[in-house]
Amino acid sequence: MSVSQLVFATGIGLMVPLLWAALGETITELSGTINVGVEGVMVLAAFATGYVYQHDGGAVAALLAAIAVGIACGAFLSFLYVRRRADQIVSGILFTAAASALALVLAQQDTTPTTIKSIPRLSVPLLSDIPWIGDVAFNQNALAYAALAAVPCTHYLMQHTWFGLHARAAGERPLVDEVAGVSVRGIRYFALTLGCTLVAVGGGTLVLSTAGTFESGIVNGRGFIALAVVVLARWTPHKAILGALLFGLSQALQFQARGIWGLSALPSDVLLMIPFVLAIFALVAGRHSRYPTAVGEPYRPRAEVGPNSQ
Amino acid sequence: MTPMSSNLSWGNVGAHVAPLKNAAGAAIVAIGLVAALVGSLGASPVTAVRALVNGSVGSSPSLGQTVMITSVLALTGLASAVPFTARMLNVGAEGQLYAGAIAAIAVGLSPVADLPEPLPIVLLVLAGMVAGALWAALPGLLRAYLGANEVIASLMLTFVAVLLVDYATKSIWPSGLAQNTRPLPDQALLPELSSSTNITLGAPLAAVAVLCIWLVMKRGSLGFQIRATGLGVEAARMNGTPIARVWVLSFALGGAAAGLGGVVLVAGIHGTLIANGAAGLGFLGIAVALVARLNPAWIVPSALLFASLRVGGSALQVEAGISAATGELLVGVLVISLLAAGTLKISHQEAAA
Repeated sequence: MSVSQLVFATGIGLMVPLLWAALGETITELSGTINVGVEGVMVLAAFATGYVYQHDGGAVAALLAAIAVGIACGAFLSFLYVRRRADQIVSGILFTAAASALALVLAQQDTTPTTIKSIPRLSVPLLSDIPWIGDVAFNQNALAYAALAAVPCTHYLMQHTWFGLHARAAGERPLVDEVAGVSVRGIRYFALTLGCTLVAVGGGTLVLSTAGTFESGIVNGRGFIALAVVVLARWTPHKAILGALLFGLSQALQFQARGIWGLSALPSDVLLMIPFVLAIFALVAGRHSRYPTAVGEPYRPRAEVGPNSQ
Repeated sequence: MTPMSSNLSWGNVGAHVAPLKNAAGAAIVAIGLVAALVGSLGASPVTAVRALVNGSVGSSPSLGQTVMITSVLALTGLASAVPFTARMLNVGAEGQLYAGAIAAIAVGLSPVADLPEPLPIVLLVLAGMVAGALWAALPGLLRAYLGANEVIASLMLTFVAVLLVDYATKSIWPSGLAQNTRPLPDQALLPELSSSTNITLGAPLAAVAVLCIWLVMKRGSLGFQIRATGLGVEAARMNGTPIARVWVLSFALGGAAAGLGGVVLVAGIHGTLIANGAAGLGFLGIAVALVARLNPAWIVPSALLFASLRVGGSALQVEAGISAATGELLVGVLVISLLAAGTLKISHQEAAA
């Protein structure tokens, strides 16, 4: 493969965890909750995946472990953000800190020697024979194709179903849901749990498509970058592909820099900074995109608030 | 504040007892959870507690260590508390601390260190504070004038700062060892105040910083504007408060404190710049600020609590055979429980409801 092909092939591989996380966070934010704990969910999911995969659980069992972690995190964060109305940003950051510490404690406890293995790449018949693109895009692993398939599914769920309609209402005008007889909290519980599950699949992908083991620092800010991807994509699943690809490519540069003129002279630390600096530019570029109106505001049902307030 | 006035009538006493009950319940739940985890990892919770206490205050070196970490945590706590008061969520204190640390090492390893006696240290401290303030002002400016989300921006700048420190230790001032820069010369170190505990000038410097910020926040006009902006942006704007400037200044003031924390870490504790040397002290500042209820007067006791858990936590590995990260886990679980119990809040409206 040529250098440009390598950059794109690696970039698409690195795009996948970000895309899963961005899709999950899109669902969550559209329903009116901002989960800054994405990073923490990814860390715990990556640990669970690595643990099961290294103890001969197989890729499917490992992924199921990630999903289970995602559901558990979603349920816990629903309790924290939605039910207890804790400040979402502060508790999200602290959740990430606690989750990283927990993963570290558990990982240091597990001393079985690890073997390096990752799930196989599948080449799509016919499409993988296309000259340049074939090797780059159609020779990825199953989780990459699944992530791309999840994009239209997320779009359909949010735009064309009963749940999507009421989730978006919960994110914009929660009272509308309540007047329609729909529980705002119930909708947000479900959206946050589903969102965390997709985020957790992203954390699992990180392990399964690389060395197949968990190591501290494996997530390295990807959860936070996913938050920037969501802003850049303006809460639109198909734009999230482009946003995630942009960051995937920027992360791929550090692996392929030797072959790129001008980059080979840069120190590796500068190359590693590129995605984070890019995220700041993405935030500025996305400054006209508007967060869902009610995002971050915990909802109190009218029955609880009482008739005379507001 | 409102609780003072409502305390006048007996009828409201119950309303103040309930949150305390919640807080106690949350603390018990948190400690129970971590104790269960420690037990399931095969260590005795009693041994773990003994290790925590011995490791944090059991001997003079560990006591000194706790005092020094308290100083750094008080400063990173201020870095969160001041912007939080203006409702600017600065979660990048870790990066601002590193910015101050890099500036301190840059000044300390330059010819400035050969100037007459107090000058190197004065310049080192100033450079650290300015660097921290500038690093913090960036997300503030991005938010105030370009509308970027300050939470994500300050986080991203933290990752950039961590990589800058890595670059500084490997390439700018390499020592031959992988993880740290050349050591600072003696005249660029904060002087030691007591040799048995290794407490340095960093501790009184932090105390002075806490006092100054307390004065600014309680008595200064900037503090008034910061508080007014936090209570209600629209009302403050109507009143003629320059909101954008207050946002940026609240970030910069917090960042200066975090930068001083970096100076204390480099010139008052480690004597050199270590890659990942802060290891979460900036993020822990968020917990410090919350438990102090964003009030500079409560920052020091709050910092002391988290510093003992942190310093004691490092003894867990040796004495109880479990990961030092257990201390951090306990901190995280404790603060999250308090948030869930509704004891800790940053929104004033919510607290009044």
